[in-house]
Amino acid sequence: MPPGIVPGFRASGMVGQWRQTMIDGELAAFLEEGISIQLGTRNARLEPNGVRVVAVAVEADGRHLVAYVPEIAVSHVLPDLEANGHAAMVFARPPDERACQVKGTFTGARPAAAGEREAIEAQWGRWLDRLKSIGIERLALELWDVWPCVAIRLQVTAIFNQTPGPNAGARLA
Amino acid sequence: MIRLETLASCFQGLIPATLFTCSRDGIPNVAFLSHVEYVDPRHVALSFQFFNKSKANISENPHALVRLIDPDTSQGWALRLRYVRSETAGPVFERMDLRIEAIASYSGLKGIFKLLAADIYEVQSVEPVEGEWARGDAGPIDRTRRPDAVFTMQALQDLSARIHTAGCLDGLLDSILEGMETSFGFTHAMILMPTADDGGLVTIASRGYPENGVGAEVRFGEGICGVVAEARKPIRISGLLRQMLYAFAIEKRAAEQGLCSLVRRIALPGLAAPDSQLGVPLLYRGELIGVLVVESDQPYRFHEEDKTAIELLGSYLAIAIHSMAMQEREPVAAEATPAPVAVQAPVPVPGAVAKPAVGAGAAAGEPRRREVAYYAADECILVDGEYLIRSLPAKIFWKLLNVRQGEGRIEFTNRELRLDKSLNLPEWKDNLESRLLLLRRRLEQKCPDLRIVPTARGRFALQLGSDVVLVQKP
Repeated sequence: MPPGIVPGFRASGMVGQWRQTMIDGELAAFLEEGISIQLGTRNARLEPNGVRVVAVAVEADGRHLVAYVPEIAVSHVLPDLEANGHAAMVFARPPDERACQVKGTFTGARPAAAGEREAIEAQWGRWLDRLKSIGIERLALELWDVWPCVAIRLQVTAIFNQTPGPNAGARLA
Repeated sequence: MIRLETLASCFQGLIPATLFTCSRDGIPNVAFLSHVEYVDPRHVALSFQFFNKSKANISENPHALVRLIDPDTSQGWALRLRYVRSETAGPVFERMDLRIEAIASYSGLKGIFKLLAADIYEVQSVEPVEGEWARGDAGPIDRTRRPDAVFTMQALQDLSARIHTAGCLDGLLDSILEGMETSFGFTHAMILMPTADDGGLVTIASRGYPENGVGAEVRFGEGICGVVAEARKPIRISGLLRQMLYAFAIEKRAAEQGLCSLVRRIALPGLAAPDSQLGVPLLYRGELIGVLVVESDQPYRFHEEDKTAIELLGSYLAIAIHSMAMQEREPVAAEATPAPVAVQAPVPVPGAVAKPAVGAGAAAGEPRRREVAYYAADECILVDGEYLIRSLPAKIFWKLLNVRQGEGRIEFTNRELRLDKSLNLPEWKDNLESRLLLLRRRLEQKCPDLRIVPTARGRFALQLGSDVVLVQKP
């Protein structure tokens, strides 16, 4: 977990079923690198919802991660997560297009702490820098809301390769 | 609901869209999308290139959410969708397929990186995304704004006026490209014409490139020029760099698994790393006269109004080029094979940059010596060991040089070339004038001391500023 990002979730009663590490050190570094991240949920009518994630933190057990979502947009997904717990996150890194899909279940949410802000904004900043590699200037997205954030904690249940090519869709963990 | 057509810039694929779906058993899925295409005020199409989880989900649950970013303003948009049908033919499929095919051809992935279907979705709502705000300098967003028709019409009028003042094919092509820059602001443009042999295009005029690319060839189906020629339909690509990276990612993984080999990139005319391209076929009564391509290193340079104007212009330019070519081939009064004129000693050509001559003996002040070699099997000419031209223009140049050497004649007519059986020109649509223009421009570019100079309509002279040694190779 990057310095400055701290746990502290209200219990959801869905934690503790997995003991196997899902996210190893190499994958955790990729996820926290500062790349494109989206979080998807669905409501009771099976209609999908989604939000942009500005940063993630993988917990030391490799079985949980925290997604930081701008507070202004969190109402699009939080009711779904609280109602049914199902979540999917996609991570993609230009320019090599490495990508993966993390499936998970919701374990809790809390306002991101002031002490986490620097690490969150640094990760988002690295993503803006990376956008240059696909021809998008950093300036273009600098007005987007990043802070305040809500920290959404997920227990990882599966990880799939989503890098374009013949192995796309293969289960990684 | 916000009018879908006012989000046109979002549909250029510049910034990846995100597709959210859900399986029948309630597991959500998120994927990045290469393209969302505007279909009509109530529908969009999503590209279906690979069988994946999104496709499986949609087949069992038609609800989807797509998030787009406007590359002009950076405003995020959310489109709530419902799957309607998949199309594997028709105008929407063709539009999407051509763009993907052009990208695939750049990366050597034709047949692998392809469109399987255009999935049509009904758009149920369009909402701005909170927290993904438009840039302040983008100004107030008027979603009811129409393209500036006055500017576009003025630009078309200006270009039309230029075209009318052109007196020959040479001047016409330059006028078109100059007008592209001064009237529309497109600084990099080129015109390609079909080669004498089927299935190819050759660059006959270009503007805005460090080296004029006249003579650069491309096969039908290769790059945006070749795909436009093959399909005879316009193509616009924005964010080409990103889409190429996506294609390369697929190629790399496929090659790692031995499913395809990493292929040599095709060297195509134009910018080394264009990020936006717009190509239109120049069609006259169904015949492909040429291809006009404008490009830019900006990711989203060609907007809706540009696309509409250039597509409209395509037919007009085709008529203008065709008419000029027909005018140039009309015989002038009393045209006949010119009488032999004594070959003059080589005359230095002003502005010609003399390269070191082949062999020794090119002392200062003396005419230089050039070796012109014709490779009969390849119908190709090399000057001092460097490629000059091939195919019909090469045969024409070789003939002119031999007549000059054998008969001492330096003036020629288009008509005598048409009647020359050794050149094997087709009886109609021989495009002789454009071949001569291509030859003339290649000489200007590669060896400006060897010149073809128009002397009257349908007549020209061969002027050599060097001693030329002819070498015929098998």
